[in-house]
Amino acid sequence: MFPVINWNLVSLEVLMSIILVGLTVLDIVLPKNTQKDWLGLLSFIALLGLIAFWLTQGALRGVTFSGMFVMDPLAWFFKAFFLVVMVFIFAMTREFFKSLGERRNEFYLLLWLALIGMCLIASSADFLMLFISIEVLTISLYVMTAYLKTDKLSIEAGMKYLILGSLAAGFFLYGISFLYGAAHSTHFGVIEYFCRTHAMSSMTLFALVLIFAAVSFKAAAVPFNLWVADVYQGAPTPVTALLSVGSKAAGFVVLMRLFFFVFNAWHPQWSLVLAILSAITMTYGNLIAMFQTNIKRLLGYSSVAHAGYLLMGLAAGTALGAAGINYYLLGYLFTNLAAFMVIVVFSMAAGSDAIADYAGLSRRSGILALGLLLALVSLAGIPPLAGFFGKFILLMAVIKSGYVWLALIAAANIVVSFYYYLMVARRVYVDPPAADAAPVVVAQGLRLLLIFAMAGIIAIGIFQGPFFNAALTAIK
Amino acid sequence: MLSGIVFAIGLVGVTTSRHVIKVLLSLELLLAASNLSFVAFSKFNGDYAGQLIVFFVILVAAAEVAIGLAIIVLMYRQLSTIQADALKEMKW
Repeated sequence: MFPVINWNLVSLEVLMSIILVGLTVLDIVLPKNTQKDWLGLLSFIALLGLIAFWLTQGALRGVTFSGMFVMDPLAWFFKAFFLVVMVFIFAMTREFFKSLGERRNEFYLLLWLALIGMCLIASSADFLMLFISIEVLTISLYVMTAYLKTDKLSIEAGMKYLILGSLAAGFFLYGISFLYGAAHSTHFGVIEYFCRTHAMSSMTLFALVLIFAAVSFKAAAVPFNLWVADVYQGAPTPVTALLSVGSKAAGFVVLMRLFFFVFNAWHPQWSLVLAILSAITMTYGNLIAMFQTNIKRLLGYSSVAHAGYLLMGLAAGTALGAAGINYYLLGYLFTNLAAFMVIVVFSMAAGSDAIADYAGLSRRSGILALGLLLALVSLAGIPPLAGFFGKFILLMAVIKSGYVWLALIAAANIVVSFYYYLMVARRVYVDPPAADAAPVVVAQGLRLLLIFAMAGIIAIGIFQGPFFNAALTAIK
Repeated sequence: MLSGIVFAIGLVGVTTSRHVIKVLLSLELLLAASNLSFVAFSKFNGDYAGQLIVFFVILVAAAEVAIGLAIIVLMYRQLSTIQADALKEMKW
């Protein structure tokens, strides 16, 4: 007797796989020397179609594939999140890889693969499934990171990412094997039951530490954050954007599933550890970010700091903390992607990512300067932008859970972070541009998306209600 | 358990090797250690799920090494060396 598979639940993944295969065939069939970017255009249309489709599927829930695949509000929220991220990434890729010719087509296929991996991560209900979907995402990211094959920095970044990523995969698997040994299963539901009925033993503690370490690799939190700055700097900018938003969100959806559901019964044991790690992560990121001269590196360390803020929500361990994480990530999406869009356009025009070269950007392109300013101010957490309210909810969540000291450390960190974000803003608006600086031209499509992202930053900050409700329903 | 020893050897290998291919080999050891542990627990627990997982792990490990070797080829073309010390362009 075969178990019945409910294909409705996996409709998004199935559609994406069909698109991936279709685009692969198209890549082979289409004439090679064509100037038009068919694959990029089709991918873009397909993505918009998928978003429209996905918005109608909000009530989808259930479990299929023998319990390996779960569709719940959390999975729905994050899949919608990943689809929106990809719209931006595809637009950036079309711009950034113009010079690459037909090699760009393979890059689109890798992006689709990464998207499928992220969506599967959001729906995994079994450690085997989780491991494989994480690897689908990570392995395509390895290739994308080293994609500029004549650029030393890109290769170096790819190599470092591969070594640390595989190390994390090894830790993850070894941790799973011990959990499997203890609970006799890799299924989340069975392990959740095991956690409720058993106290934590040294074996499961060991497994928990290994698994957390491995997932924090994706989330860019201490202890596995050493790759972040190097890979952010060396990777092609669209990949950096994907790493900083998509990959981080994938890490946090896993952490939320594991710590709010699977290991929830052991909350008293891990809560304090997470609080301490959160404090270390944000302090480390913010302190080192102050001394950066490369904007991608600066955003790398800032991304570590933000992983620290997000960990506060996990440490709080309450529904408010979880909703805070969702809300924060939503604001972070528009904020960081706006910043990276500016970086893509600017680095194409100026050929540099050095912060010093951003001097006088406001006189070279008003919209780029405004986009960067809004993004930086929102990252710093100044009201009324998206970043402020997200931080506010997370702080409230940890205070309610009794970690007042953590909230104080976070508040101090936020003040410290003003310094380096506003340093960049000062360069852009106050410093005079170099004598030979020409105005920067922004392509029409990217200009629209940048305006959309800016609108998102402001809207999420001002009209908190609907977005907070969305974040709250996602964890029911 | 044997898997613990293999895991430790792999970990030391990753952190101390100066040669990128050696690092990749040590990473393989890490995954092999997990496989060993899965099979051992599977035997110990008396169910087959653990042995099933091993097949998937081998698959993923193969994909990872393929990408790793490809990046090493790129690295050799650009830097004419595959010593890990050569990867020092970016710091702080």
